[in-house]
Amino acid sequence: MLAATLAFLILPVAYTFVGSFATRMTGVVPEGLGTLDNWRVVLGLADTIGSQRSMGWTTLVALPNGIGIQVPAELAFSVALALGGVAINVVVGVPIAYAVARYDFRGKEWVDAFSVLPLVPGVVLGVAFLRAYPNLSATSFGLIVGYSLLKAPFMVMAVRSEFESMDLRRIEESARSLGASWPRTFLTVIVPQARSGILAGAIICWTLAAAEFNFSYIVYAKGTQPLALFLQRHISNSAFPQAAAAVSLFFCIVVAVTVALQRLGNRGFDAIGGD
Amino acid sequence: MSVAGRLADSVTAPDWLLAPVTERDRERRRIVALCLPFAALAVVAGVFPLVEVARISVSTQTYDSVGFTLAAYETLLTDPYYRGVAVNTLWFAAATTVTAVGLAVPIAHALETYDLPAGDLLVTLVSFPISLPGIVAAFMVLVLVGNTGLVTSVVAAFSAASPLDLAFGTTTSGLFLAYLYSMIPRATLILRGAYAEVDDRPAEAAQSLGATPFQTFRYVTLPAIRPAITGALVLTFRTALAIFGTLLVIQSLVVWTLQISRELGPGFDLRVAGAMAVAYFAFAFAFTALALRYTEAEVGL
Repeated sequence: MLAATLAFLILPVAYTFVGSFATRMTGVVPEGLGTLDNWRVVLGLADTIGSQRSMGWTTLVALPNGIGIQVPAELAFSVALALGGVAINVVVGVPIAYAVARYDFRGKEWVDAFSVLPLVPGVVLGVAFLRAYPNLSATSFGLIVGYSLLKAPFMVMAVRSEFESMDLRRIEESARSLGASWPRTFLTVIVPQARSGILAGAIICWTLAAAEFNFSYIVYAKGTQPLALFLQRHISNSAFPQAAAAVSLFFCIVVAVTVALQRLGNRGFDAIGGD
Repeated sequence: MSVAGRLADSVTAPDWLLAPVTERDRERRRIVALCLPFAALAVVAGVFPLVEVARISVSTQTYDSVGFTLAAYETLLTDPYYRGVAVNTLWFAAATTVTAVGLAVPIAHALETYDLPAGDLLVTLVSFPISLPGIVAAFMVLVLVGNTGLVTSVVAAFSAASPLDLAFGTTTSGLFLAYLYSMIPRATLILRGAYAEVDDRPAEAAQSLGATPFQTFRYVTLPAIRPAITGALVLTFRTALAIFGTLLVIQSLVVWTLQISRELGPGFDLRVAGAMAVAYFAFAFAFTALALRYTEAEVGL
């Protein structure tokens, strides 16, 4: 049972990765293995047209001598959008996690439940955004705000479990007895202590935001597309090996993130949310 | 004056918030300050858009929220097409949930109770698909059983049948597999957490008293993890209801989320889309609250 399920979950991942280096994938064994053409196409290093078009490249930093550092536009765009969402998540998630972990107050169970349950799925939030912010919806700002709400529970969970493993009352009292004001205690003593939890939460939120498809699909209209829409474009329109290369590109990101999380001693992605 | 302005004027902040005297007052002020950023995000990105979408769903005009009519909801309730979509959504989510959790129980059992070779690697591999979006889950199923899929090609090579007759990636069965691809890893992760907390001494005692592994599972382990199974069913069902990207790739069944996006396509009907979004939100919220309240599940709320 375990072996069959593992095969079902992992076999297509491995086959996709191998297939991304093939010219044709119609038989049992992919043909023409060893080509990098598909990767060059999805990374925008070869010319493409129409719905199969690849990433454009954009200048990230323009150096004074006229040479710029070039990056794939859609990858860089997604990285930036997801980072914006993570920044908001840190600002909203860390304080509320601390409130729940440190204090007892009326309605705490409700605050707790609302901060960790992803209550609104991406499609529904997307429709709501279209209606509430019609002028903002197709902009990066709308996407960032939407991502931050959708992924906030993962930040709160990661940080809260870190806070719960600390003796908060003692840390807070010793800092205050040394003369630190409460805001100073929170910002310079408590928050740095929880940095591994914050980092783990940030990595998880970043990956999930970079991969968020449902919300992006409804809200996003034109211009450079987020990474998830780039994947969908290739899955729906491209030849099989080329789609495989696009999906493999995403696998590489997930593997890098998983390794980073294990370095932090985190158990990885939590199971409650996601769609 | 704006609604927000009038609201701000009519509410006077209590004394403990403005001029705290006791340590208890200061603590309350801190709690408010700590919760404020999250509350602001929830209102701007969650509550306000949801209220707006609820208003357009009862509007008499297509593009402006004016008047009051339940026509859109009446359509959802009486039109056989929308009733069919609702039935599709519920049975498909229920069937995939039961299958996913049914498979996740033995997997979590094997991962947590036996010392498997390379156990950590197995856990990582089973968890890997959690971070893949639904469109990729659909692609994985096409890789296996699509027209040029791996399993399709292997079976065709051994059976002389045409790959096109064997492939079922874009059928409802393929969609079923794609749902499972997203849901099994999530259900497994929830159940593994529960297994890790189970005291394994009663199981060892049962075994030493002569119980077979199956009897031990049936009478000792299963009662201990039953709340976690309920929790896994609830959360996996919610996941199933929210799946959308998968359906764009394998459009073999029209469910609620796919229909919402179709309302926004040609014929753009924001009122019906809004009513569907409201119905979805109300159902998911009520389901989660009721299920987790009455089942003693050890998972949040």
